[in-house]
Amino acid sequence: MQRIITAPRNNWQAAVEKLGFGFHTTDVPYWDESVYYSFTMGEITNIEKATQELWEMCLGAAQHIMDNNLYVRFGIPEWVIPYIEASWQEDHPAIYGRFDFCYKNGQLKLLEFNADTPTSLYEAGIVQWFWLQDMDKSKDQFNSIHEKLIDGWKTLKEYLHPGKLHFTCLKQTLEDLTNTEYIRDCAMQAGLDTKLVFVDDLGWNENTRVFVDMEEEPITNMFKLYPWEWMVREDFGRHIPEDNNRTFWIEPGWKMLLSNKALLPILWELYPNHPNLLPAYFDAHGMQRFVKKPILSREGANIDLVDNGKLLQYSEGNYGREGYIFQELFELPCYDGKYPVIGSWVIAQQPAGIGIRESDTLITDNKSRFVPHLIDG
Amino acid sequence: MSPSNRKVNRKKSVHIQLILITAVLASCHRPTPDHQRKVYMRGDSTAGYNRTHYGGGLGAVMWYYAFRPYGSYYGGNYYRAGYYSGGISEHANMGSNPVKGAVSRGGFGGNGFSVSS
Repeated sequence: MQRIITAPRNNWQAAVEKLGFGFHTTDVPYWDESVYYSFTMGEITNIEKATQELWEMCLGAAQHIMDNNLYVRFGIPEWVIPYIEASWQEDHPAIYGRFDFCYKNGQLKLLEFNADTPTSLYEAGIVQWFWLQDMDKSKDQFNSIHEKLIDGWKTLKEYLHPGKLHFTCLKQTLEDLTNTEYIRDCAMQAGLDTKLVFVDDLGWNENTRVFVDMEEEPITNMFKLYPWEWMVREDFGRHIPEDNNRTFWIEPGWKMLLSNKALLPILWELYPNHPNLLPAYFDAHGMQRFVKKPILSREGANIDLVDNGKLLQYSEGNYGREGYIFQELFELPCYDGKYPVIGSWVIAQQPAGIGIRESDTLITDNKSRFVPHLIDG
Repeated sequence: MSPSNRKVNRKKSVHIQLILITAVLASCHRPTPDHQRKVYMRGDSTAGYNRTHYGGGLGAVMWYYAFRPYGSYYGGNYYRAGYYSGGISEHANMGSNPVKGAVSRGGFGGNGFSVSS
């Protein structure tokens, strides 16, 4: 894994905007093609293998959490537990997730699993693919995200309820809309009948007891870029189990168990000393060097990095009410003062590609930049 | 290496075509959250006044829709469904009664500016 400085395309802003990538720059740059990471095929194979194995381990962990009634560790409201278990037993469909890895000195370690609402899919699947077309199309890239999304929807098509597949996200965020519309684009290419409705506008019909869109069309299948932990705490959350259409929400209810950082101590308990896992517990467990993370948080908020009792680095935020986990400190590698995290996608149960976010600090936050990659050697 | 072997070892998508997203999003801008701007508005004829806020950047379009109810005709009757505005508190549109119709809205979406993760 090497960090290579390169010249951005002369017209890169126009090139990415032509793809519909409208949030490449905000108050700070987000898409950064002045640098890329180069991987060997051996390194990519290692990431691919770990992604597949961890996905299967996560499914085992979900079963273990349910069998042993460990929900209290996850801060999940009691009323939603029967719904989670039903979604698992009835095999409600899932399409994707993203493992975040630290790759250093030949070791690949799982930092967390974004199993419910992972973003940067469009950057990884589309923008960096077209960057490589311009840069050197003879080179390879670990990125079959687009193909796997279309294939995944084709497979799921026969498992969905009759009717449209609706898509939803928050109204006032171009980043979320881009990710959602990209996934919808792939579903359309797979032959699905789709429709967008903003989550702010979703309706609940008191007479028929079903969710409806803006035209009051009943919803039966819904892809949502909106987290379960928010849904179950909002007013309409209580309607989900009483929905007469038994809507398939994608990602499904059982993903509440995998998108929660309480998963990390469970994985370590089930698969101790696995080469891709870091020791993780619900308390410091005598560790001298650890990262304290809220079980529910976003964009690197409320993280403490502790080294021998000293606070090495921390981030502020509004998370932590539901509790914390403690994971052994395994610092991100430093390349020219930058710290890369590898996001490895699992789509339709298969490893599908990676995206890299670079930060100026050990904590990857909302100021991180997306950096492309290629395979060389 | 034969062409078929090359295909097996390839890690990137062979071809990418987008049918929806470029046309929809290419000209969009990204609104930024502005939690300082606040507006007090009446959500409907049965709810009390609510203190709400909204993100900036939408200007006149937001104001146009903020006060216009939407709904639909069904069985000869007009059913009011709410307002096309994320600026209205979900509590203003919650619940149902004969005036509002059977559909309530705004029960999701009150929890953040972006899911970004």
